Amino acid sequence: MTDCIIELCGVTKMYRSKAAVRNANLKIYRGEIVGIIGKNGAGKSTLLKMISGHVYPTSGELHFFNRAAAGEQSFFERMGVLIEQPGLYPNISAYENLKLLAIAYGLSDRETTIEKLLRLVGLDPKNTAKVKSYSMGMKQRLGIAVALLGSPDVLILDEPINGLDPQGIVEIRELILELNATGLTILISSHILEELSKIATKYAIIHQGEFAEVISKEELQQRCEERIEISVEEAREALPVLERELKITQYKVVDSRTVYVYDEHIRIRQIVQELAQHGIMVDSISRHKQSLEQYFLERTESAGERHD
Amino acid sequence: MINLLRMDFYRFTRNKIMYLLLLLFCAFQIFGIYMMKQYAQPVEEGGVQIGNLTEIDFIQYTISQPPSWMLIYIAVFTIYFYMSEWNSGFHKNYISMRQARIHSVFSKMAILALFVAMLFLTMLIADGIGRRMFFDQTDMGDPGTLIILLASQFLLHWAFSLLVLCIAMMTKNLLISLSAGFVLALNVIGMVLGALENQFTGTHLTQYLLINTLVRVKDLGNMADLIHTFGVAVAAILILSYLAVRYKIREDLN
Repeated sequence: MTDCIIELCGVTKMYRSKAAVRNANLKIYRGEIVGIIGKNGAGKSTLLKMISGHVYPTSGELHFFNRAAAGEQSFFERMGVLIEQPGLYPNISAYENLKLLAIAYGLSDRETTIEKLLRLVGLDPKNTAKVKSYSMGMKQRLGIAVALLGSPDVLILDEPINGLDPQGIVEIRELILELNATGLTILISSHILEELSKIATKYAIIHQGEFAEVISKEELQQRCEERIEISVEEAREALPVLERELKITQYKVVDSRTVYVYDEHIRIRQIVQELAQHGIMVDSISRHKQSLEQYFLERTESAGERHD
Repeated sequence: MINLLRMDFYRFTRNKIMYLLLLLFCAFQIFGIYMMKQYAQPVEEGGVQIGNLTEIDFIQYTISQPPSWMLIYIAVFTIYFYMSEWNSGFHKNYISMRQARIHSVFSKMAILALFVAMLFLTMLIADGIGRRMFFDQTDMGDPGTLIILLASQFLLHWAFSLLVLCIAMMTKNLLISLSAGFVLALNVIGMVLGALENQFTGTHLTQYLLINTLVRVKDLGNMADLIHTFGVAVAAILILSYLAVRYKIREDLN
């Protein structure tokens, strides 16, 4: 994943005097699934619309495939887009909607392509019902099919699992992972952090139009994992005690003074006692546990709003 | 461009509103001729009975009578065709394609031209039926003059549809666009400006306004009048298509 295909350099979007997105910097590499996280009105949709070419940045630069996007409309046609509501004619069928778009794309083998896509997203190509009679979930699926019709390199999905039932969520998740496995790069925004955490390889946390943090899946897991953090004078002196006396097998030496213990069976009191018996002074010891939700809320300054 | 035009054409041929509008127009046009027959006024000496008008004069007469029903049908169709795509958000699916913003405007313009042409064809058919049924009159007039009249009115009506398209694109609001379309079809603005001009300046610049030109009875044998008519039509088409394309290129699709 070394091929940077989208780069945002100080991108800002102003609506009158209000900044919807401010000085956004982000690099997206081929094959990544980037989760865009933020509260309502944080600027997620505006950001995705700028990447899709639907709205123009007020300042800053967008680079696609290592080239500036300004004046190069061709880059935008390599994006499959589903932002907010799927753009569908309500009074015609799913097949007819896709057919219209296939004509616009100039696809020659329209029938086969459309049927294949509808099956891929779990819709019946023979269903002649009008789109207005579809459930929210069916519309979302059809929206994904529409986004995939032009064989894009990048798939941009804004809240794709909104309104889906649990079964639908699982199916869309599997579909996204399946598409990603074929090499498709995916940008996805969602409020459902639990769901996002199952698919994203990178997270961009956006708050009031600015990126609060961009973090990889590994970094996030590390920050949210349950562990005991021990700070001693000399970590290497503590390790034999932890291994031999307390039978701890899952640990990590972070630096010369800090050790993280991941064994769930062990208690803090046991560690302090054992180390003290072996003459090792513990400077500090604490249990670290943070949920994904807490982590994101802290970064969007909402943790204090929670009372549950 | 061709692909987007094909897409719009596919939608054009499969939307029921277009057929309904043409059917309604045809029915009301025939009904209008029936009403003319019922309420025909005795003409002064030297005047011509409506029933004796050729098709050329009949078209000139009906178009010059406010409100212009053709303009209202054109406004309704233009707003429907553009706003149905806009409100559904379907444009967002293809607008990222190369030059799609420009091509989508040209494609809409072509479809509007097609609708205007179909409306004129419907008018000719309805006039033919109505005049034959109620006045027993089938005289079309000089074919060359009829073609010039139809060509000039086609261009003027197409220009009007582009004006309504621009309004719909810029306001993005069905109600405002329809209201503006009706006000323009009634030529309220042209009449007010004309009155103000007569009152205060004494110039005749408002005769070059699009709708004033459209509803004016033309002297088709007069070259100056033809230049005026075609000049206004072509200038309006060029200016309005430029505005529409420029707006679409810069538009944020929120």
